[in-house]
Amino acid sequence: MTELSDELLVAYVDGQLGGKQSSAVEKVLAHDDVIARRVKALKKAHRRLEAAFEAILAGEEADAASHPIPPSPGLLIPWGTVIKGAFAAAGIVVAAVLFIAGLGLPLATPERNASGAADFDHVGSLARDWHEEVARAQALLGRASLEIGLDSQRNRDFIAFQLGRAIGAALAPPDLGAKGYRFTRAQILRFGDEPLAQLLYLGATGAPLALYAKKGGADAAPAAKRYGALAGVAWSQAGVAYFLAGEGDEASLLELAEAIRKVGPQAER
Amino acid sequence: MQAEQLYDSIRTGLIAMLPRLMRFADILVGERRAGASLLGRALNRMLAEEHRYQRGTALDLWAFAEIYRLWLEERHDHSGTSSRPEAGGARFAILFRNAKGHPFDPVTTGFLRSLPPAQRLTLLLVYGERFDPIDAGRVLDVSGETISARLVRITGTFADRLSAGEERDAGAPREGMQ
Repeated sequence: MTELSDELLVAYVDGQLGGKQSSAVEKVLAHDDVIARRVKALKKAHRRLEAAFEAILAGEEADAASHPIPPSPGLLIPWGTVIKGAFAAAGIVVAAVLFIAGLGLPLATPERNASGAADFDHVGSLARDWHEEVARAQALLGRASLEIGLDSQRNRDFIAFQLGRAIGAALAPPDLGAKGYRFTRAQILRFGDEPLAQLLYLGATGAPLALYAKKGGADAAPAAKRYGALAGVAWSQAGVAYFLAGEGDEASLLELAEAIRKVGPQAER
Repeated sequence: MQAEQLYDSIRTGLIAMLPRLMRFADILVGERRAGASLLGRALNRMLAEEHRYQRGTALDLWAFAEIYRLWLEERHDHSGTSSRPEAGGARFAILFRNAKGHPFDPVTTGFLRSLPPAQRLTLLLVYGERFDPIDAGRVLDVSGETISARLVRITGTFADRLSAGEERDAGAPREGMQ
């Protein structure tokens, strides 16, 4: 029997030997069954290990392919969102993992949203999970959401009283009739423990326009921001923080925001 | 290259190789959830400190090394976010399931799970990533000779185990199909 080390045989199996060395090993293999069996076993080990690693990669790539992420996130998609999307593509998004990774929680929490740390500019370019979207909306509902009944929606004085009492600051539904929007209804939502007023308006077409208001915030001029298909304008005035959201463009919303600011929160009381 | 362009370049490159990075992290810590967590932290650090990336360095080599380095650091200081490895066998085996959910050969996955993380990565880098021993050594901060020696030892041991299993099977009485 010829003595050939595993070191040499592994190098042979891995294709790391030069032509002459390989030929020499093959000559030995041709007449030494023990070495031949060893090489066969090493080749089998090599193949199994390669196949094992390929299996993992194939699984990861299949997951990624089923939920593609943009190769270049561009200016509007923050890195955190892209990474989050990539993890989602791999089917491994869980709240704890993302939290530990510092990449944002799947569901919004008041603290994170209040600080803006998890305020993703765009989620529309990533696969949307309706459970997540609905859960976000559900988080805004509280018992007070049902306190202003449908039968009282026409009584604007009553609504102003209810809203003002709920959020702890003067607030009346602004009249946007001159801008083509009709007030339809209001309700009290919550943002964590903070009450949040929602006033809904309908234009001639399209989805409702919503004005949100909650207590707090130093005076700040309106600033527009786009959230996928929606746009929003945020500002603060007289101790009330406002957010106007709708499907219109930012310029139109800014114009509406200016109109609301001019009237002021107590003008209709 | 401007810093922002470099950032974009690294970011794009990392996105393109995410499946490979995930595989690396999974194999390192032994399960998917902890692997994703480790990778998330490593990506954050890579992007926060992208200036440490030297142009001309292979991005995959750099990224693998960064993940491994972070794992070593966390293991060393036993911080609260420690990526402690050694998941149960079932969670390790799940890593190898194919797209249809079929498990991979349990002898191979069991053997890989029994190896220390650095040895698993040695196999991954050479047999999975096709790195040569020198580059694999750069990732794991050891010499190319160490990588080669590991390969011989691990592959030889695995071949012994496979051969022993075949001999056992050959000597065992055959059971019926039912």
